[in-house]
Amino acid sequence: MIFREVEDRDLIAKARRGDVEGFNLLISRWEKRVFNYLLRLVGNREDALDLSQEVFLKTYQHLAKLEDPARFGPWLYRIAHNEAFSLLRRRRPEGELEGEPAAGAERYRMYPVEMSLAVERALARLSEEQREAVVLRIYQGFKFEEMAEVLACPVSTVKSRLYTALDLLKETLAPIQTRSLE
Amino acid sequence: MSCAPFDLKDYFLGELGEPEAQQVRTHLGACLACREELERLRLTQAALLTLRDEEVPRRIAFVSDKVFERRWWQWLWQSGPRLGFASAAVLSLAILAHALLAPSPPVTQPVDTAALEQRIESAIAKAVAETEARQAAQIQKAVSAAREEMEFQRKADLLAVEENLEVFKKRMNVLQIYLASNVEGGGR
Repeated sequence: MIFREVEDRDLIAKARRGDVEGFNLLISRWEKRVFNYLLRLVGNREDALDLSQEVFLKTYQHLAKLEDPARFGPWLYRIAHNEAFSLLRRRRPEGELEGEPAAGAERYRMYPVEMSLAVERALARLSEEQREAVVLRIYQGFKFEEMAEVLACPVSTVKSRLYTALDLLKETLAPIQTRSLE
Repeated sequence: MSCAPFDLKDYFLGELGEPEAQQVRTHLGACLACREELERLRLTQAALLTLRDEEVPRRIAFVSDKVFERRWWQWLWQSGPRLGFASAAVLSLAILAHALLAPSPPVTQPVDTAALEQRIESAIAKAVAETEARQAAQIQKAVSAAREEMEFQRKADLLAVEENLEVFKKRMNVLQIYLASNVEGGGR
């Protein structure tokens, strides 16, 4: 992880000097993670891909504003978060209550395996904020402080969203997982 | 709701310090409900992780694409120091071009005062001699021209005198003839 940060810092320095290849290399290290974060948040591959492109374009355009290169990860995810929620807000029909599953989230049909399907459905039932907290912590491995940085909210809010989400997921997934292990 | 001394989710996610974690472990040894709750959390996480990361379906457009590349003036303008350096470089090029294209200044050598004075004196003497020779030639030419003009004028005057003398002689002859004829006529 330390080596990764050091290499990221070097690549960021190169990109800031106008080295396009340095930036390409930097993006190639992050694109899969960012794409999957967006995919699980918006639930649609095409949208996730379009958003990923937008995220990396904005990253390039605003790279000079990144104060601490060691915080590149949370900074990049902050951009991705803003792009994703901008799309989710546009998608949300008039009058839909905050916290209801987004229409796009119902389209989780990525794996034909029963468990994967169950996970997709369970994630889709969470609110966008709860689902994002799960994705950042469980799938992306962020710490609470980093999540707070990405989401621009207090750590207590992050924990509250995640723990509520885990309680909801636990009710659905734990029994299925138990059966699949029997 | 668990009865553990600390939040089981904090323990599950590794957010507790070692002393707190040890207290939870001690509690779990004695509490079946909390062990089952912790197991449900583990099963939930295991279920979530069956969803694997997908590969990016197609290449994400990087900045190597022309549309994303900054133009040279944007690249220059977005950095003050870079702009300053570029200005200095342009100024240096201008100075260099001026130095190469302008006529080269005379080469400065150590000054030999005596030789310099000698050269100056000889140059002055030469210039004076040339001036004097030129003036003498001009004077000589002017004198010659004056002489020629005087000679011409003298000859012209001489011719005029001779012509007048000739006219006078003719008039004298006419007068003598007239006087002679009058003398002869009166005598008769």
